[in-house]
Amino acid sequence: MNANPLVPIRGRIIKIVQETPDVKTFHVSTVDGEKPFAPKPGQLAMLSLPQTGEAMFSITSQGPNHLELAIKEVGQLTGALHQVEEGQECGIRGPYGNGFPLDYLKGKDLLFIGGGIGLAPVRSLINYCIEHRADFGKMHVVYGARSVADLVFKEDLFENWPKVENMEVYTTIDRPEEGWTGHVAFVPAYVEELAFKPMTTVTCGPPIMIKFVLQALARMGFNDADVITTLEMRMKCGIGKCGRCNIGSLYVCLDGPVFTLEQLKKLPPEY
Amino acid sequence: MLAIDKKRLNELLRNMSRDFRVYAPYLENGTGKFAPYREDRELYLEMNTLLPPKDIFFPQTEKMYRFRTAGSALEIEEIEDKKEKQVIFGIRSCDAFSIDCLDKVFLSRGYEDAFYKNKRENTLLVGLACTAAGDTCFCRSMGLNPQEAVGVDLQVLDLGEEWGFEARTAAGEGLLARYRDLLRETDAAPIPTQEFKLKVDVEGVPEKLSRMFDHPMWEEISRKCLGCALCTYLCPTCHCFDVSGKVKGEEGYRFRCWDSCMFSEYTRMAGGHNPRPTKKERVRNRFMHKLCYFVERYGQLLCTGCGRCLAKCPVNMDITAVIRKIKEAEVE
Repeated sequence: MNANPLVPIRGRIIKIVQETPDVKTFHVSTVDGEKPFAPKPGQLAMLSLPQTGEAMFSITSQGPNHLELAIKEVGQLTGALHQVEEGQECGIRGPYGNGFPLDYLKGKDLLFIGGGIGLAPVRSLINYCIEHRADFGKMHVVYGARSVADLVFKEDLFENWPKVENMEVYTTIDRPEEGWTGHVAFVPAYVEELAFKPMTTVTCGPPIMIKFVLQALARMGFNDADVITTLEMRMKCGIGKCGRCNIGSLYVCLDGPVFTLEQLKKLPPEY
Repeated sequence: MLAIDKKRLNELLRNMSRDFRVYAPYLENGTGKFAPYREDRELYLEMNTLLPPKDIFFPQTEKMYRFRTAGSALEIEEIEDKKEKQVIFGIRSCDAFSIDCLDKVFLSRGYEDAFYKNKRENTLLVGLACTAAGDTCFCRSMGLNPQEAVGVDLQVLDLGEEWGFEARTAAGEGLLARYRDLLRETDAAPIPTQEFKLKVDVEGVPEKLSRMFDHPMWEEISRKCLGCALCTYLCPTCHCFDVSGKVKGEEGYRFRCWDSCMFSEYTRMAGGHNPRPTKKERVRNRFMHKLCYFVERYGQLLCTGCGRCLAKCPVNMDITAVIRKIKEAEVE
């Protein structure tokens, strides 16, 4: 990392995976082929194409020599990122944020609930738990998207994760589709239908999904301190100085992005 | 106390400017501001400057790094700040305390802001006591002493015919020693500060505000706000910034510049979601930040009572009136 936290180091996009029509996963190394830094699951990175801009993204996974960032095309920078080819150099700085509470999660059964691109930050934790399989209890993943085409990380969902010992993966899409023999339901309804007993849960997805998931979990008797989510906010500095990502007196870039529902209930509902 | 005849102050600053880059208050095109010392210009010491000195540490725009692209390749080159020893002469108590607030933001809580730190570490502060309280001044209500600035190296006191000097740090002692031959001992006593016309009681406000996020008051207070952001630009403690870039062909630079929580784009995300979509949320956030959130995070108010925002707001938004409303509000 650069001595000046606001100045990025040079990175290179070494691989690009088209996940869905509007989501690509970018594998980023330094220009020397090394991992830019070693983030904890749930931490963030500032990625830039300096000609266009810089923005904060969750780090969805990492390898020995690279970081993976799954990015949906929604604006200027993400639009430009979706145009580049493998080999493109970029700026990268981080890691930022608190990450998931790994020590707290150890030894527990875990329920992961994701919707759309919201699986990106959760995947960093799922992959960590798989790598340290003995440290965690039974794992369940409930994931949904609008359509089959919009399901991200299909290889993980249908090939890699179902093979992991003591791990169940439940995938759903919003509306029936020809050729799809899996489940059809919105994620919150599917979670209730699966009738999980209360356990530690990590969820991320579109705000509307999170809202209904939290309601469903409350009905199912889940404890607020055991419901963990990760938030997004507009960010510029990533180090708690530029001001804009505050929720009350906390900064999402520094004190988040991971919060328990118990913590969120004490903060102003302004996110 | 060591002192100098008021008529000879320029001489002292001239000597100082040989050793340091000296900033002092001047009137430029009718606007009071801190500017580099110039022998041929008259200092503006009657009142506080309209523009606070925060831009000396935190410029309105500041280049951070250059880049150059060639095909898929990228070069990044940090822009080195010049490390020049400087003195800010004539800082009032309100603005000195604002620098203490900025220090908390830029130099604590895990990360140090290298751009700010470089300038801050190389700067000596010379405070200037206020004997007159402006119509919109209320620093005393915010717990400050207009004769004794927080965190300065040297405090200047108004002795009538003379300016008196009292060192507050070793660096301040050093300054007095360096220019000792221009100073003389005096027995004159400092002129006390006039009574403040504007007073407000801020006791208990941060704690009460933490229970007032949903209060209907914010709707009413925010109604007249134009969202012009003048308050944030004149505020000595407001420190929010944006990061942007300038591109020319294959090269360019990235810079940061002052931003304002009063603008809707400030929190609007790429997907369109905006956690503070209307004036109500933005005005609430500004007052909550100054009077509650900053206290929770750093243990002090983010308002120094300088009065600039209420003096210049085009629709007379008045933070002291807001504080009174908070005190009077009924809370469940």
